[in-house]
This record gives sequence, C-alpha cells and structure tokens, in this order.
Amino acid sequence: MDLPAEEEQPLYSQRPEWADVVPLEQYESVAPLAPIFYTDEYRDATNYFRGIVKSGEMSPRVLELTENIIRQNPGHYSAWQYRYKTLMALKSPLDDELQLMDELAIKHLKTYQVWHHRRLLVQQTRNPGPELEFIANSLQVDTKNYHTWSYRQWILAYFNDDALWSHELDFMESMLESDVRNNSAWHHRFFVVFQSGVRSGDEDRDAVVRRELAFVKERIAIAPNNASAWNYLRGVLDHTKISYCELQAFVLPYSLPQPPLGTPPEVVDLESPLPSKNSQLPCVAAVEFMADIHEAAGGGDLVKATEVGYVLYELGKYLTYRSFGNPWQMSTILYARDTGNTGSRNP
Amino acid sequence: MNAVYWSLTALLIMGHGDTLDRDEMIDFVMSCWDEEAGAFSAHPDHDVHLRSTLSAIQILSMQNALNRVDVDRVVKFYLSLQQPSGSFAGDAFGETDTRFLYCAVNALSLLGKLDKLDIQKTVAYIKRCRNFDGGFGAVAGAESHASRVFVCVAALAILDRLDEVDQPTLYWWLSERQLPNGGLNGRPEKLEDVCYSFWVSSALSILNKLTWIDSSKLEAFILSAQNTESGGIADRPGNMPDIFHTMFGLAGLSLLGYPALVDLDPVYCMPASIIENLGLRKGWKALQRRTS
Repeated sequence: MDLPAEEEQPLYSQRPEWADVVPLEQYESVAPLAPIFYTDEYRDATNYFRGIVKSGEMSPRVLELTENIIRQNPGHYSAWQYRYKTLMALKSPLDDELQLMDELAIKHLKTYQVWHHRRLLVQQTRNPGPELEFIANSLQVDTKNYHTWSYRQWILAYFNDDALWSHELDFMESMLESDVRNNSAWHHRFFVVFQSGVRSGDEDRDAVVRRELAFVKERIAIAPNNASAWNYLRGVLDHTKISYCELQAFVLPYSLPQPPLGTPPEVVDLESPLPSKNSQLPCVAAVEFMADIHEAAGGGDLVKATEVGYVLYELGKYLTYRSFGNPWQMSTILYARDTGNTGSRNP
Repeated sequence: MNAVYWSLTALLIMGHGDTLDRDEMIDFVMSCWDEEAGAFSAHPDHDVHLRSTLSAIQILSMQNALNRVDVDRVVKFYLSLQQPSGSFAGDAFGETDTRFLYCAVNALSLLGKLDKLDIQKTVAYIKRCRNFDGGFGAVAGAESHASRVFVCVAALAILDRLDEVDQPTLYWWLSERQLPNGGLNGRPEKLEDVCYSFWVSSALSILNKLTWIDSSKLEAFILSAQNTESGGIADRPGNMPDIFHTMFGLAGLSLLGYPALVDLDPVYCMPASIIENLGLRKGWKALQRRTS
C-alpha cells in the first residue's frame, strides 16, 4: 500500500476513520531529565499506537499506522513487534511485506530491527533464495554493513541448503574484487570455508587448505598492505595447525624494502607470488610475520632478530606506539636501537 | 534511561557527581519501572528492555540507592531472556546480541546474583562468538567488532573465565585498531570514532595491555573532538557532540590516565571505587593517572 507523501498526510487525530480510537499520551514527569524532542507527527502517531495496543486491535489500519511510525523511527522496536503480531493475526501475504521491507532496509541499513523483522518473516515464508540476492544488492550500497553480513550468515546457517552455500565463494570473490580490503568479506569467507561444516565437494580438506592459501597469497601479492588478508592467512594457519615457518619463502620478499632483483617477471611462482609492481614495501604485516617466524624457530638467531628489529624501527609509524607483547621482540628492538647493531643491513 | 546513565557516569568521572539532582534522578528511574514485566524501560510507558534495566541498576548503584530495586523480579527478567543457545535476547522482540549477554552478566553481578546464572552455558556461547582473528562478534559467526570484543571480554572477566580469550591474537587485533591520526576504529579498514576509545581501551585494560596503543596520540585525538563552543565531545573532530560520545571519550581519557579525572572500572564502566566497595574489582590495569 503506497502512502502519500508525508506532508500531505493529516494527523491521525484529524482523520475521521480513526475517531473511534482513544489516543494515549506518553507519561511525562514534571521536569524530564533527558527530554526527547518529538515532532507533532511522531507524537500523534505514537499516541494512536498506544491507543490500539491498549485495545488489542490488529487490523489493516494498524499495519498502516505501524508503517508510519517505523518510517519516522525505525528503531521503535515495540512498533515492529506489534506489526509482526498483526501480520500473523491477519495472515497477511508475507511476500508483500518483504517487498516493503526491501525499500525500508535500504533506507535504514544500520537499524537492527529492520533485519530482525526480516528474519522473522523468512522463518515463515521459508524462501531464502531471493534473500541472498537482496543481501547482495544491499551490500552494493553499504559493502561492510554489519547487520547485512550477519543476516547473510544467518540465512545460510539456518536453512543449511547446499544450493544456497554453493555460490558463496564466487560471491566473496566478487566482493573482494571490488575491495580487497573488505574485512567483512574476508570474515565471511572464513565462516563459509572453515566454520560451517563440510559440504559435498569440499571433503578433501587438504585441497581446501591449499586452495585458501593460494587465494590469500594471491590477494596479498596484489595489495600487500591489507590487514584483513594477513589476518586471514594467520587464521588459516592457526586453524589447520600449520607452522608459520612454512610460509617464510612467501613472506620474506614482502618484509624487504625493495623487491628482489633478477627475477624474470614472466615467471610466476604460485607457491610464493611476489609483491605486485607498485606495492609499498616493506609491508609491516610481513615484518611482524617474520618476527613471529623467528620466534617460532627458537628465537636464538640474534642477528636475524635484530635485523627484524631494525626494519621495525625504520617503520616509525609502528614503532612509536608499539611495545610488542613478548619481551623477546621488545628486547631485540631495543638492542638494535641502542647498539646500532643492524646485522647485515646498512642504515 | 541510557542518556541518564551516560550523563551521570560522565559527571562522576569528572568528579562532579552532584551536578544533577539525586532525588529527581531516582524518581525518574523508578518511574520507568514496569510492575507487570518486572524490569525497567528506557522511558515511562516504553517497553522494558534488558539494556535500560542495566542502566537503571547502574544509576541506582552510583546514587547509592540500589535498595530500590526489586532484585528477585529483575533476576527473573534477566534469566527469562537467556536463549537455549546461551545467548540473550534484549526484549520480547527477540533480537539476540552479545551486548545483551554482557548487560545480563553485569546486572546480575551488581545485584550479587551471579550464582543464579547458568555460567557454563553463557561462557560456551561467548566461545562460539570468538573468531579466527581473536575477536568476538555480535552472534556466533559474526565478524569481530571492537564493541563486541569489549562486551565479551568484560563478561568473561566478570565470570572469571578470561582463559577463553585467545590473548596474544586479541591484543594484536586490538592494538591494530589505532590509526595514524591516533584515533581508534572498530574493525580493519573502517573509520576512527571516539567511542572506540572506550571499547578498545577497556578491553586492553582488562587484558593488562593498555600500553599496546599510543596513549598520547589517542588522548590528543579525543581532545580534538571536543566542541569548544558548546562543550562536549563528538564522534570525531568537527562533528556535533552528543552525550554518548562525551561519556565514552571521558571514559577513554580516564583509562589513559588523564589528569584530574576519577578512576573508572573498565569491566563495569562505572567509577572504580563503587565497584571496589561492592567487592567486584577484577584484575584489570589502566594507565597511571598523571598529575599534570
């Protein structure tokens, strides 16, 4: 049902078809400590809302009223709840409601209630397919919306249909194609691949891990200064209990100030893709990774450690406000600074 | 109700807890009590919510009027909102979020009724919200977000279960929230916001790692978001101030040791002395208060 533009709508108190409802004013103490500045339209609508809640009315005009309130204040969770109850009581066509919600969701993306209401509706319609498409569209508007991604995860897990899961990798690749630094997309990938059970086709877990490592390394090669990708890499290694040391060959070039010489550009090592041409090196996350590798290897290699410490020192942006958790790392950095001992590196 | 809690806590942090009339405030809180539901709403005649109920308990606690609370009914209200999964809904509408879990744990702790909670079940749910990057999300499977890291870490602190935190990975993730301008963001590649000064700093304090961020840079950022004409602190420099960001900016400054502010307990987000008097202080560590 299309509402006319807001400025043309008379207040409910002026509409003869609402004359049978007794509006109820909100209680206001004499000197409210944190007064809310309501508009006349909002005050009027919520007065009538309180009126129909009291009488327990659940009718089509209640749907109109609650829609009006939600448009003025999408956070009014009581209006949402009462609307849902009314939809159920009236056995209203929920696909129409979802279509209305499509419009409101885009308008009010950061409101919890909009998404929760959708959840309730889809649990009734049991038709999740179009939801994934809707979510993809709304993510075009706000690519990192927390509620939207969370709703997508809920749809997938709740219905747990292989057909729904099957497009997720492609979907995430396209999101990362648009923005390789989208942390929500990286998180979602981990959720889909490692935290939602094993689906048919992915039973060979070793193959899955190889695929994921190749995927993240390739993305790091394209844009090394990307915290999400490095977090993902670490996440995969931690989850599969692969030692960080195994990644040394890949990580090392990223931790140096310039790309290695003498490597023909046509030769692409899939195991260890090199930083792309205009990368800003050294990459801090790579240096930190090297420090972790040295620590895992036993930490006794002091020259290597001070070299890492010196590079970190040069990366002034980080060293001015990091005190590094483990004493080993801190001491190597202090040693490098205090003694000027930079191992094989020239200052 | 939330606005009153933010205002009172902000004033107490600045050592001016008497600025707002105590009796009026208590009257307002009690006018939000819903006898039928056995909980507090955000405003008279609004529906009850577990968040406004926590704010009410915190306000009454800070005003030394906790005896006004019908403890048994409030405990019943909180317990009724725990879901089979272990998570908590906020109200009858049914939205679940780890924020609400924290509200329940905090409130039950302040009322001395934590023993009524199924702690095992609650902790198990928090564990399901822990992600590969060490952070926590709003529900199981959701992306790590600094605000949910705070609520989960603080809830675990209250329940004496910080062993469920992947500490080294999480300290790293939290310290990575600091941006070159000194401000903190809520997740990678997002913008800084003053309120993260609390969500991130409190989590780091609870983990005894507040030194992992550059405190002077963060302080300078928070102070630059002040409005020198109207007063108050905004979400970032140049924007309009509001009570929420003023409160959390001050909370951050207190934890960072800013001179002449009162010590804040990062677990409960209330003055530390009040929490100590209730015997609820946990092993957190803020920065030393500077004298100038």
